[in-house]
Amino acid sequence: MSQIMPSARQRKMRTLLFWAVPAVLLLLPLATNPYTQFIANGMLVSVLVTLGFTLTIGNLGQLAFANTAFFGIGAYSSAILAAKLGVPWLLTIPLAGAFGALGGFLASAAALRGIRTYYLAIITLAFGELMRWAYLHAKPLTGGTDGMPMPRETLLGISLTDDTLKFYIFLAVTVLLVKATLNLMRSHFGRAVMAVRENEIATASLAIPTARVILATFMWSGFVVGCAGALFARHVGHVFPESFGMLHLIASFAMVLVGGLGSVLGAVLGAVLLTALPEYLRAFPGMEELFFGLIVAGVLVAMPMGLASLLRRVSPIFVERFYREAP
Amino acid sequence: MSTLLTVEGLSVRFSGLTALDDVSFTLEDGNVRAVIGPNGAGKSTLFNAISGYVTPTAGTVHLRGQELTRLTPHEIAEQGIRRTFQNGGLFPALTVLENVLTGLHAQTQGSFLDILLGRSKALKSEADNIHRARELLKLMSMDHMADTRAGDLSGGQQRIVEIVRTVASDPPVLLLDEPAVGLSPVARAQMMEIIHRLAGEKGVGILLIEHAVELVMAAADRILVMAAGARIAEGTPEEIREDRAVLEAYLGHS
Repeated sequence: MSQIMPSARQRKMRTLLFWAVPAVLLLLPLATNPYTQFIANGMLVSVLVTLGFTLTIGNLGQLAFANTAFFGIGAYSSAILAAKLGVPWLLTIPLAGAFGALGGFLASAAALRGIRTYYLAIITLAFGELMRWAYLHAKPLTGGTDGMPMPRETLLGISLTDDTLKFYIFLAVTVLLVKATLNLMRSHFGRAVMAVRENEIATASLAIPTARVILATFMWSGFVVGCAGALFARHVGHVFPESFGMLHLIASFAMVLVGGLGSVLGAVLGAVLLTALPEYLRAFPGMEELFFGLIVAGVLVAMPMGLASLLRRVSPIFVERFYREAP
Repeated sequence: MSTLLTVEGLSVRFSGLTALDDVSFTLEDGNVRAVIGPNGAGKSTLFNAISGYVTPTAGTVHLRGQELTRLTPHEIAEQGIRRTFQNGGLFPALTVLENVLTGLHAQTQGSFLDILLGRSKALKSEADNIHRARELLKLMSMDHMADTRAGDLSGGQQRIVEIVRTVASDPPVLLLDEPAVGLSPVARAQMMEIIHRLAGEKGVGILLIEHAVELVMAAADRILVMAAGARIAEGTPEEIREDRAVLEAYLGHS
């Protein structure tokens, strides 16, 4: 079946749409109350967490579950840099990204040694638990079970506890990283990532250095999720080891799947929907988990390729391709 | 005519088993050399040893005088020896165009940072490659399939796209591993035509593993016959047709 491709006009519309979404979101704080603003900020964090996850598990096709480890590394890096070394929080975002990338480097070492599928899954899960153990036991640095409070800080005279200010910073970081990741996926690098997933042996025969592609994908994924960790630290104001356990991993895995594996658009949709859902379900105390599970299962049964596939059926504008025609 | 590929004394031994035994030959530009032999003769091992997927235990491979032995597969491909795979090496989830573009990976300009930031250097290179990929598909009358998922193509179309992808970077040497297996007579004729054109017009040196005898006899300038990992005969198609050793290898002693 030949897929209907977006026409030149539709490609232009897509670009317009891409920038229209954050532009409209600039007005969001006018329509929120403190509670909904906090939820919206959490959505932006989840978008980045899901984006990084879908790259390794969807595009690269590696059963790697170190994503929450990258997230925790990012959050703790930001908290430690800000609280112990007095680094301005804004500056800790790219630094947390760099530490997340380092985490990605470590996780890829297993994949590069030829460890794949279930074996890679269990090793990366162990990596995540090891990191949680480290947060718990490196007390002088991390505060152990008490966690780490983020220091008070102001930006342009506004306290960094202000959710509206945080929203604008989170939005800028998210748009920047989503755009950069899209650029990456729609380049020869993005194609090489998927080629490794499809047939690693054939990929090497095309003069593509597969090991370097795997390494770079894990590191970029770690960078994005590490940055998300820094945002999260400021979002909740206090980092605890429990935030970076299995529960977070499973929740972000669900976001990846509900949105659509290996899709940037899907990462955004899945993160937004599954962050909002529990808030609506609060109306049914005691039944929240049940409804959450049912809805996730329902979406996946109806749309195994996720919400992104639904949009693709609506309009070719949403068809994601991995090349970039001249403008 | 100049020598492209020189294989000297190439051997591959797996613990106790000799898969490839002291094989030597040369390949000139514009020439098609077929490698034939019964199953288990070592044809695929020969390809894997040349393209770096198996490390030879002895012997050397040179491309235009430059030694490539023991380089990794992607390094050998970058030097100009490209190959196809017996079981098909396309990426099913990618479109035809995206598949062909992966063949141009090494030709792409722009660093990781250039790509992330969408700098014009990276975009220009991408546009050039897309243009080239579309031209190549047009040449094979496959341009109308550019946006089709490779996994949705027929077997014959997949083989053609795989060859387009493999030659997209203009490699001097091409290794084709059973390109006609499972093809209809029409597709087979088309494959012949493609092989002729690549060798005749572009001067590509082609090493061809093939079981289809009529294709081998028509396409090959020279034939290398292997059995049990070793070379048992070498010559023009006419010479091979008359060779007793070859008949024995295929039909057994009379």
